[in-house]
Amino acid sequence: MSDKNNRIPFDEDNYTHNINRNNERKLDRRGFMKTIVGAAGVFAVSSLPWGAVAAKELMGLGDKEYPHKKIADLNKIAVGEAVDFKFPGEHDDAILIRLSEEKFVAYNSACTHLQCPVFWQKEKGEMLCPCHHGKFDVETGAPTAGPPRRPLPTIEVKVDKGAVYAVRVKRYES
Amino acid sequence: MNRKHIYFGILLVCLALNIVFTQKMVHQFKFENYENAIIFCVLNLIVFPIALFVYKSDKKQKV
Ligand code: FES
Repeated sequence: MSDKNNRIPFDEDNYTHNINRNNERKLDRRGFMKTIVGAAGVFAVSSLPWGAVAAKELMGLGDKEYPHKKIADLNKIAVGEAVDFKFPGEHDDAILIRLSEEKFVAYNSACTHLQCPVFWQKEKGEMLCPCHHGKFDVETGAPTAGPPRRPLPTIEVKVDKGAVYAVRVKRYES
Repeated sequence: MNRKHIYFGILLVCLALNIVFTQKMVHQFKFENYENAIIFCVLNLIVFPIALFVYKSDKKQKV
């Protein structure tokens, strides 16, 4: 076939039905199967990091202790107000809400649906995710409406000498 | 139902399993059940050789 390409015009008088359709359907099917196998490969490779991180997490089991971190001074937060802070890492957004004189709750504020930042709605008394209207219970962090299915990770806080400190991220009870 | 359709079906099942396992793996990971996350990860890894094997055996068949 390819040697014909160099001879112009090559001796072929069939210009309209010159596509060789033999086995085309079969190739289609096989090509598709190849794609599925490729997809399986991609799935396999992309699940590796999850497994690796999970394994790492298992090795260093137990409550990870982070250095306690000061969130805010007591007199800076009015009852019913919320402050944003970072805990445990520099890039982990968290939110602290003062529910009453001495009741504080803190959560990791990345929505458990697709990681949008959850914010505190004082008037409604609930936490709202702006992305798809997921709602969370302030007392427990449990999802109450919208797409999220997993509670927000709770951050333990303690009050010490007129300031609020983040202590640790609570593990889920299974 | 001839042979090639069966191979095709098995591959489709593999794809479905991949999706299910991945979903489960991510959820178990987020729930901090790391053992289960690893199990699903391994399952996901196992599906690939199976799919490859099925594909190869399909190729070996007479056209
Ligand atoms: S990201 Fe929060 S509801 Fe979708």
